[in-house]
Amino acid sequence: MKYIVIGGSAGSFQTVSAILANLPKNYPHAVFLCLHRLKNVRGGFVEALSLKSNIPVCEPFDKDQIVPGIAYLAPANYHLYVTNDGFSLTTEEAINHSRPSIDVTFFSLANTKKNDVVGILLSGANKDGAAGIKSILDAGGKIIVQSPDECQVKTMPLAAIKLTSIDYSMNTKDIIDFLKNLKG
Amino acid sequence: MFNQEDIFLLIKAIKDNGGYDFSNYSEKSFARRVEKVLIDYRLDIYSLINRVKIDKPFLEEIIKSITVNTTELFRDPQAWQALKYRVLPRLLSKSEINIWHAGCSIGLEVYSMIILLNELGVLNKTKIYATDINSDVLKTAESGVYSYRAVSEYLNNFNSALCENPYNFDEHLVITHDQYFDINKFKDTFKVKPEFLGKVIFKKHDLVNDKNPFDIKYDLILCRNVLIYFNNSLQNKLFVDFWNYLQPNGALLLGIHESIIGPLSAKFDKKGLVYFKKL
Ligand SMILES: C[S@@+](CC[C@H](N)C(=O)[O-])C[C@H]1O[C@@H](n2cnc3c(N)ncnc32)[C@H](O)[C@@H]1O
Repeated sequence: MKYIVIGGSAGSFQTVSAILANLPKNYPHAVFLCLHRLKNVRGGFVEALSLKSNIPVCEPFDKDQIVPGIAYLAPANYHLYVTNDGFSLTTEEAINHSRPSIDVTFFSLANTKKNDVVGILLSGANKDGAAGIKSILDAGGKIIVQSPDECQVKTMPLAAIKLTSIDYSMNTKDIIDFLKNLKG
Repeated sequence: MFNQEDIFLLIKAIKDNGGYDFSNYSEKSFARRVEKVLIDYRLDIYSLINRVKIDKPFLEEIIKSITVNTTELFRDPQAWQALKYRVLPRLLSKSEINIWHAGCSIGLEVYSMIILLNELGVLNKTKIYATDINSDVLKTAESGVYSYRAVSEYLNNFNSALCENPYNFDEHLVITHDQYFDINKFKDTFKVKPEFLGKVIFKKHDLVNDKNPFDIKYDLILCRNVLIYFNNSLQNKLFVDFWNYLQPNGALLLGIHESIIGPLSAKFDKKGLVYFKKL
């Protein structure tokens, strides 16, 4: 099983929704979604993502085990760590004004799952995720940055491209094809 | 910055000199807090370990920065609605109600409870106990004085927790903030009104090492967003403790993303967000 982690902020909802709609049922990998949300919109996100998703979407509880074929959404107001014995949540201060912090989730996956990780960074208006996606690359994982031209807000993908010095990016359609063909 | 072995040495130094036991805290988040301490204090891990070994006041300070104190007024309003409509109604007819907030941080959770109990008309017959490992947060809790800037964002929670009824959408109560708080935006103060202070017994208490802090049985224990910092085996120890400290049918409220997994799950009945002690 691979560990696919997707970070996104402003302008990423449509893309995440499209990805979830196109993954096959019984997908052999686990998907983690770390998405910034508006401060006072706490509920309803799982429902909104579930509407079109082909795989179940849920917010994990602390210490839950990781099961393939599920999209795990980082709960509002918690940082989500993926560890060797399941999920670990914390309420530490926001990092880069974000809780959940994309960096925190990316670092923890890079650390525990090394080259089994695929890190994906989408549209967004800040730099969260750049350091995290670099750590995935450095740990031997694969990384994908959404093509800045396609992004509603380019700051986040541009920051990641700059920090990792990768020389490619992908649009939504290619990201979906890549994920559909990803072998366990 | 440091490896597993260094963390182990740090935990041992803290235990030997201060008696606090972090060996069963969640590894990842503990490591991240240590990282933060190293940056904040501009220390490397070896200087930190050495200083912890010999400097007790410094050790106490470090404990306070390693533990996470973030909290809110009426955090997760649906949990407060569960208390209001599912838990407290069972207790209203008792002659005395005993509530323990374990890991109360700066007290916002405790004052939320006081407000709810007051709205239900049972504040005067309730004994409220609140504990934390960090003596600084207890001081703030006892004073009931906060910064307006820090706390005002939680007034939305106040409204949803107290004024909306999830079981009856037509009901909408009007409860104003100034009944409970003296708010001064210009001085940036947000103070609990004097008549709601002094109703709580605060005590420094370590959930890992110490036994029941007040030697009574509670009708309700709140331990929210504390156990997420502990590993499975330490969580299980605490579920046993809480079970022992509860009255028959007593209620345990955890954080909304926490749950009892493991052996003790059979000894509680879960109804919605709340665990009730089974005999
Ligand atoms: C994130 S706060 C939660 C505050 C509040 N219950 C809430 O949910 O908003 C966690 C609190 O647990 C306390 N804590 C951590 N380890 C503890 C221990 N071993 N014993 C008692 N309290 C502890 C911390 O000092 C901190 O104030």
